[in-house]
Amino acid sequence: MSETTEQKCESGRCSPIVCPACVVATRFPQAVRAVLLVFLAVVLAAIANQVNLLGISWELSSAGRVGIPRSYEGLLPEVPAKVALGMLDSGDVIFLDSREAKDYIKDHIPGAINVPMREWAKAWPKVEGQMPKDGRYLLYCYGAKCGLSTRQAKVMLELGYQHLTVLEYGWKEWCEAGYPTAQPPEGSGQ
Amino acid sequence: MSAIGKLLGHRTFLRLLGLVVGAVFVYASLDKLARPDRFADIVHDYDMLPLTLVNAFALAMPMVEMVTGAALILGVWRRAAGLLATGLAAMFMVGIAQALLRGLDIECGCFDVSGMTSSKASWDLFARDAGLLLASALVWRRG
Repeated sequence: MSETTEQKCESGRCSPIVCPACVVATRFPQAVRAVLLVFLAVVLAAIANQVNLLGISWELSSAGRVGIPRSYEGLLPEVPAKVALGMLDSGDVIFLDSREAKDYIKDHIPGAINVPMREWAKAWPKVEGQMPKDGRYLLYCYGAKCGLSTRQAKVMLELGYQHLTVLEYGWKEWCEAGYPTAQPPEGSGQ
Repeated sequence: MSAIGKLLGHRTFLRLLGLVVGAVFVYASLDKLARPDRFADIVHDYDMLPLTLVNAFALAMPMVEMVTGAALILGVWRRAAGLLATGLAAMFMVGIAQALLRGLDIECGCFDVSGMTSSKASWDLFARDAGLLLASALVWRRG
């Protein structure tokens, strides 16, 4: 591709008209082709995501979380700490703490079982026996966007658990509300 | 020119190198394309992007890997694909290095994102990506 296309003449003097896109294409052909490949990839990604049953939204989920498959929307409700306190009082909801064991040992929601999501492969087999498939669960991690509790809920959903709820603003909100906590480890997946 | 220099500039060698790098990128993209939700979680863990961009990145990046790898294997726009591969490898190295320097204990997300057996980000993986970057840069500059 030529960098110039035609001549511009003024007052009898002619100078070539420079086409900026042509200059870029001539001097950096590999870069231009690389950009075209990226465009192609984005189009293909949009198509692949549309047909993938586990496809996700290009933006955050309606609850503001990352990595939630569209088909899971609505299956992982989030509740504020006040509702979670009611669940704790009812006694028929199993609380799962997705944080790291060292944080769980410091402090946690009374009765919560620690299943550190980052150590899931090791932690889950140790506690799986205490987890009935038809049980009701509330999962929490550090804060609103820590992601570990939602991630754990996704995995449990795939394992066949259906009654899963995530504490919306996590441990942070629970503490700020002054709700009860417990220091001694009452159960740990570690 | 030394024997190594001749080898690195040899057309057949560069084609083979392009095939290998391309195969690595295609393989690396497969699980991420199948489980964009899991890959988004890993991207989130790297803590490098604004939350609103995590999903979009997790969707687009694996397909960039796939297209790059396919172009390298097919020999279509090989040098441009080598440039992209170089950029991707450099990005992986930056991601892993910043995670390690900040003490983040996270999954690499390099190949396996579906299972619970994927590798943790480590300096070994950083070195592997450095090798990938060198190979990609060779394809880009001399391919």
